[in-house]
Amino acid sequence: MSAARIAWAVLRRDLLIELRGREALLAMGFYALLVIVIFSFAFSADADLTLRAGGSLLWVAILFAAMVALDRAFLRESAEATLSGLQTTPASGAAILAGKFGSSFLLICAVEAVLLPLFAVLFNAPAHTRWGGIILTALLGTWALAANGTYFSALSLHSRQRGLLLPLLLLPVAIPAILAMVQATQVFLGGPGVANYWCRLLIGYDIIYTALGLGLADLVLEVE
Amino acid sequence: MSKTFQANLLGAGTLALLLAALYWALYGAPTEATMGTIQRIFYYHVPAAAASWTALAINALASLAYLATRSRKADALAVAGAEVGLAFLTIVLITGPIWARPVWGVWWVWDPRLTLTLAMWVMYASYLILRQLTPEGGSQPRLAAVLAVFFAADIPIDYMSIRWWRGQHPAPVLFGGPDSGLAPRMLAALLLSMTAFLALMAVLVAMRYRQELLRDRITGLRQRRMLAAEN
Repeated sequence: MSAARIAWAVLRRDLLIELRGREALLAMGFYALLVIVIFSFAFSADADLTLRAGGSLLWVAILFAAMVALDRAFLRESAEATLSGLQTTPASGAAILAGKFGSSFLLICAVEAVLLPLFAVLFNAPAHTRWGGIILTALLGTWALAANGTYFSALSLHSRQRGLLLPLLLLPVAIPAILAMVQATQVFLGGPGVANYWCRLLIGYDIIYTALGLGLADLVLEVE
Repeated sequence: MSKTFQANLLGAGTLALLLAALYWALYGAPTEATMGTIQRIFYYHVPAAAASWTALAINALASLAYLATRSRKADALAVAGAEVGLAFLTIVLITGPIWARPVWGVWWVWDPRLTLTLAMWVMYASYLILRQLTPEGGSQPRLAAVLAVFFAADIPIDYMSIRWWRGQHPAPVLFGGPDSGLAPRMLAALLLSMTAFLALMAVLVAMRYRQELLRDRITGLRQRRMLAAEN
């Protein structure tokens, strides 16, 4: 099988399991919803706050949800030791990782699809908000989180403190991406600045870390 | 000459350099005209930054070397570089605000260089946490090396992103354009301090590196004794 077909098979299998069980999806969605709701109380959200910090609040909520999804990307494998099954097939590490990346990416996007309208309502997004730009930023930003996150999810499999390690590794590397997502979203909400730069930075980040992750995939999925 | 003696000699030399640098920083260099005495922290702040960058470069190169050769020595050097680099970054992050408060009026600003330093500190702390949380030996060196490569790739992107964000840190004083430059005695103090800090960094990295390899030997000896006891 070609690498693309292996990746597709892994992606399809993960999404099927997710759609039949709906465990992570529900938990993630509800978690993100809770964060947004709590934020709107904690910050007494009004239109003024949204203009100043809406992007940051939205992305922190997405970040929390993404962490749950990414943590599960490889957790599912360890329950029945299915990862070693995958590793014994001639599939390359890059193909497996690409499949995992795809399923995590789509899961996080699904949560965002629920979260964005909710955010718009609870935070009174201004009427002139450029939603097209925000959706583009969300796609690029989610790509960045999923690319690095899938890799670190596989990496933290080896650790004694799996769930704890993932955010500890992902957040430092994601600093420029998070900065870019927040800034771009802020501009699209009507804040000052040029969104163009931030989107380009995200595209560059996505390219670099997708390439790095796929290139070094075998190192992290290597069998002892 | 025994290895211990050599190490002691190097240590003593570094200590002498550090004391000389301290003297020059406090008495040798003239007091800066606008900032006053507080500017003298410059002779510790900048050299610490140089030492941290050098140690972290050692970490990046050793990590690449580990991925290429899988040699235990490269891994030991990578740990040493990261630990010493993080220690010097901490010095930079402590001396920076002490200097900023009287001069800029605030402890901290989200300036590119400050933010980058903080981001790097966070990264290498997380690198050491990974080493702490994964079982020794086995896959640990490989995972740590991969992470070091990810982090090294992140530094230029970080710098770019933060520079677009905002800026307040002064331009580099050396090689920074026509208006930059230091009084000769200030330059002497800086260069002396720079040498001393780099020497200290090298001694610490070498000690830590040797310690890692010695630890391997002790573990090996213990295992051999346990095996012998069983038979």
